[in-house]
Amino acid sequence: MRHILRLSILLIGLFASSASFSADTLPPVNTADDLGPQVDQPIEFPHNRHAKDMGINCMYCHTYARRAPVAGIPPLQKCMGCHNGIESVKDKPRIKELFKHWEEKKPIAWKKVHDLPDYVRFNHERHVKRFIVQQDKPVQEVCGYCHGDVKEGTVARRQKPLSMGWCVSCHEKAHPTDKTAQATAQGPNDCWQCHK
Amino acid sequence: MIENEFNRRDFLKVLGWSGAAVAVSGCGFTSVQDGAETVVSYVEANEYMVPGIGVYFNSTCAQCDAGCGISGKVREGRVLKLEGNAASSINRGRLCGLGQAGVQAHYNPDRVTEPRTGKGEKLDWEKALGQVKEKLTGVSGDEIAFLTGNLSGHLKVLLGNYMDALGSKNHYVYDAVAPAVVRAANKKAYGSEMPALRLDKAKVIVSFGADFLGSWVSPVNFSQQYAQFRKGVNNGGRGVLVQIEPKMTLTGANADRWIPANPGTEGVLALGLINALGAAGVSVPSDIAASVSAYGVDRVSKETGVSAEQIQKLATVLKERSPSLVIAGGGAEGYAHGSQNAAAVALLNQVLGNVGKTVEAPSVVPFPQLAPTAGGTTGLKAFNDGLAAGKFKVVFTLGANPVYSAPAFMKLSDNLKKASFKVALTDAIDETAAQADLVLPLDSAMESWGSLVAEYQADDAQIGIQQPLMERLYDNTRSAGDILLSLVKQQKADDYKAFEDYYAYLRGAVVQAKGALGGAGMDDDEFWNTVLSNGIVKTGNASSSLRASAAAVALPAAVAADSAFPLRLLPYVQPSFRDGRHANLPWLQESPDPLTTIVWDSWVEMHPRTAAKLGVVEGDIVEVASKSGSIKAQAYIFPGIHPDAVSVPFGNGHTTLGRYANGVGANVFQMLDPVFDQETGELAINETHVKISKVGQRVIVIKDEGAAGGSQAGKKIAGRVASNKIDLSKEV
Ligand code: SF4
Repeated sequence: MRHILRLSILLIGLFASSASFSADTLPPVNTADDLGPQVDQPIEFPHNRHAKDMGINCMYCHTYARRAPVAGIPPLQKCMGCHNGIESVKDKPRIKELFKHWEEKKPIAWKKVHDLPDYVRFNHERHVKRFIVQQDKPVQEVCGYCHGDVKEGTVARRQKPLSMGWCVSCHEKAHPTDKTAQATAQGPNDCWQCHK
Repeated sequence: MIENEFNRRDFLKVLGWSGAAVAVSGCGFTSVQDGAETVVSYVEANEYMVPGIGVYFNSTCAQCDAGCGISGKVREGRVLKLEGNAASSINRGRLCGLGQAGVQAHYNPDRVTEPRTGKGEKLDWEKALGQVKEKLTGVSGDEIAFLTGNLSGHLKVLLGNYMDALGSKNHYVYDAVAPAVVRAANKKAYGSEMPALRLDKAKVIVSFGADFLGSWVSPVNFSQQYAQFRKGVNNGGRGVLVQIEPKMTLTGANADRWIPANPGTEGVLALGLINALGAAGVSVPSDIAASVSAYGVDRVSKETGVSAEQIQKLATVLKERSPSLVIAGGGAEGYAHGSQNAAAVALLNQVLGNVGKTVEAPSVVPFPQLAPTAGGTTGLKAFNDGLAAGKFKVVFTLGANPVYSAPAFMKLSDNLKKASFKVALTDAIDETAAQADLVLPLDSAMESWGSLVAEYQADDAQIGIQQPLMERLYDNTRSAGDILLSLVKQQKADDYKAFEDYYAYLRGAVVQAKGALGGAGMDDDEFWNTVLSNGIVKTGNASSSLRASAAAVALPAAVAADSAFPLRLLPYVQPSFRDGRHANLPWLQESPDPLTTIVWDSWVEMHPRTAAKLGVVEGDIVEVASKSGSIKAQAYIFPGIHPDAVSVPFGNGHTTLGRYANGVGANVFQMLDPVFDQETGELAINETHVKISKVGQRVIVIKDEGAAGGSQAGKKIAGRVASNKIDLSKEV
């Protein structure tokens, strides 16, 4: 019974997702399949605390996203920049762990949760320029196209399939070239844009 | 995760895809591996370090002695790719394939990573250096020898100081494929071992076996000059290149005319040309004219195998297109009379009036103590003689692999055993390190500090600065400079106590001379940072001049062929392998030889006529045997070689150099005959005579293309005209 139920949910998901292909909206909806597995991290970083409660811009920490192919994980130095001054949480276990790494000058080995295969190049900078700089969309929405609703989660978990078909589904749509322009353009569809 | 798997399977079944599950998942989401890899963030990041974006640092290539400047792309603390440093006057932003492979020398999985004893026991540095000190106690300076490759810069100074401290004069410099005979001949003829060759100013170049586009002296520099020469930038029209060599090299393949004169007759041809030029009205000093009068066209044609018509044409071209440039290279010098050959070629230059026009005074760094010591095989011979006589107790090797590259007749491997303590400073367990009692592992060139002064500098003399492009891959390797500094401190602690490491020494030395190096008025840090950012220091040229002392050359009579060994072996210095020290770099094994396009192997190159006579076809395994040894390799039939000769490339046939080199190809050094240039005592590498026999096996030759001049896939891409049907003088 449960089995059948689950199947039907899936089918609904499927229809919904194909509907989203025809309706010109961003991003395609999630199906259960899109959600990545839970990955244990050395420190359970609460994205909700930072992005929702504190309202910190994604690119305050992932500062490389706008000038490099990769968004990067912030250097420890950056975490300490704030946490040195936040007395209220200093003795929480996660923050203690953070201070320990800092004092030992030992980098944190985070587990990758958005790890594309080696033959795929995704360029953060170009997407940030297109949607945030040119179209003036809200940062969290733009990051969310691929990373889902980060402010609602704690430890990062993959929300989208990140498969080629999924990328292409967005690249096939016409996007306005900037905030006010009528002109539209599609994302590139040449193989070598991503497979170099 | 499991739940998702179930969903997925159901999903596929519903859509009728279940049978294709594997194929679909192969290109679906499963290649996104959540949590499989780590991403390590910086603890503290430099402003200029942006993940995903490369930063370039300038340094100096250490793959050969040409001293090109490099610019290494570093990303996330790792060096990824090398480019040429545009500010270097040697290579002006370009790099050769061998230089590119420097990255692989760095990441090579077969590097030695820890000091170890001959038996393979690991040591820490303190113990290792302690052993050296202990073994040196009570040993006199005469009983210590240090064999190195070519050295220059501050490392050379430090080694000199170390040898002085030990009271030893036994520093031997060895380069297996050096232009040592040409150097000596140049010194005599022009007063400079390596004058600047201005290819770009010449209207015609006649090269006697100098593969200047491939492996000779400073190929990146020459290639750029060659481009100018072909475009006619400085000489008002496309330059004409004639290459005279019995085995076609990359330069020969680029030439307008490739002339396979009989091996060893280069000098005869040069004197014949002088004679013909004299007859054609070029002014030749009377004593020279008298000395070449015996070299009439008919005789020269008979001895060299070059037609009388061709000789006349060559003389005409040389006369009409001035300034010209004639160069003697490896093809001409590797004989018992190599010195005379090179002298004859230099004489031809002088008669043509090229000295001062296309042969210029070189640019010299005004610090003679840093100037390169360029060796040849005489260094090896002297080292070996000392070993054979049992003179040496403690020997060091650095940048040289004599057990691999010394011919078998020297019995170097056996002689080495007579030394009781052998220390190898090396980055891989090569054949020499395999015999050592102590192996000191070196940093790669991407990890170490250094300075380098190139032997050949055409203009704008400079010192190349080598700086680490990234952190050490292995904690327990050290740079040659650091090791030598530690060793010299063992002897003279007080003199060197100010220098904690080689970096401090190098920085100190460079900063101390800042006034002379264009840094007057800068503070030390500023000057040093400028030096590092440039990767080179321009020193200004020391005054140097050439003299043209034309002296008659007497060539010996040709030696009759030995019927037991009817063919001549012409070992080939391949652009990417040279003396074989880099055979463990797969990029080099993988890049096709420019002429035969063969990869990952040695070959025996022979003319189709010779092959037909021997009944050999491509891929036959043949044995090439000389009086001194033999090798087996696949036959490759190639029209670009003299019918009386066969050619085998140097560089392969290693036994201990690592997974990419061991067992690949054959070592042709081992079978060279003991014939030496009579004037300089250099090993005459083209004087080995061989016979060929089939072994009875046949393989498919792994190569990129068919033989040059092959079928062109039936497309008639290039028209073919027999070479004797072309009138060179009209063509140019
Ligand atoms: S010629 Fe020599 S120094 Fe120059 S790039 Fe090639 S290997 Fe390096």
